[in-house]
Amino acid sequence: MSFGEDHELIARVVSAQDTAAFGELVRRHQSQVRNFLRKLAGDVTLADDLAQDCFIHAWDKLQTFSGRGTFIGWLLKVAYTTFLQSRRKSKRYAEILQEAGTVADLESRNYTVQSDEVTDLDRFLAVLSEEERAIMVMSYACGLSHREISDATSMPVGTVKSVIFRGKQKIRKSFDIKDHQHG
Amino acid sequence: MTSKIINMAERIKDAEDRLLESMFESVPVADDGFSISVVRKLRRRLWLRRLTLPIAAAVGALFAVKPLAGLVTTLAGLSVLVPQNIVSATSNLIPQAQTIALGAVLLAVCLLGLRALEE
Repeated sequence: MSFGEDHELIARVVSAQDTAAFGELVRRHQSQVRNFLRKLAGDVTLADDLAQDCFIHAWDKLQTFSGRGTFIGWLLKVAYTTFLQSRRKSKRYAEILQEAGTVADLESRNYTVQSDEVTDLDRFLAVLSEEERAIMVMSYACGLSHREISDATSMPVGTVKSVIFRGKQKIRKSFDIKDHQHG
Repeated sequence: MTSKIINMAERIKDAEDRLLESMFESVPVADDGFSISVVRKLRRRLWLRRLTLPIAAAVGALFAVKPLAGLVTTLAGLSVLVPQNIVSATSNLIPQAQTIALGAVLLAVCLLGLRALEE
């Protein structure tokens, strides 16, 4: 079966509930979504589970995609919402455990890399807050414009710019990038 | 002088952005059956959704059989109060009603079968 552009596939999914067309969309964009969630969650298994949930949510909400921005921008918005929802759930779970008198691992809310190899990027991401991490990843890893990030995070463009500025400052401060850059 | 500073600032910003982009760059993730598993999950969900309504209807019908039988008996008891010509008309309709009900059930089964074949 031959598949056309993204918008043709989207039209087929919305009009005929075509799961094969949706499968092709998933195949095309899974790498970016999974990479985004991996950087955000810091855990490959969790990120892949979230990516599955993200695509299921995307299927449910696909008729709300207006086609004004890029599809990957819209998809990353769904991925970010899925990530935040899962964070809220795990936070609530930790609170319930605490209320029940169990020692909950509240540190799990922080960014921890579940891998033996810690890369420079992991160290970069660790100094950023969750919001900064999401926006920096959208901007530098996924190549989204400030407008697209603003749509994805429901933040004004000005706020997105200032979060990026703050994130860069933090990275610069923590890793002395300026000195490294200018020799 | 001022424009030189601005240009320099932009150049520095660009260099920093490029550095960050290279830092954030990551190797593409291989699909390795990911998209297939998403589609499989999706189809399972669609099937479950499609089955929910008929199953709910069947369960509801099971619960409704007894009260319905009681209602029919009560109505049959009241039929002595209904004029004779209406009673005879109803009795003529009963075989047709059975055929209509059977047809409706067959139609519903055929529609569900067609949708399954479409999938």
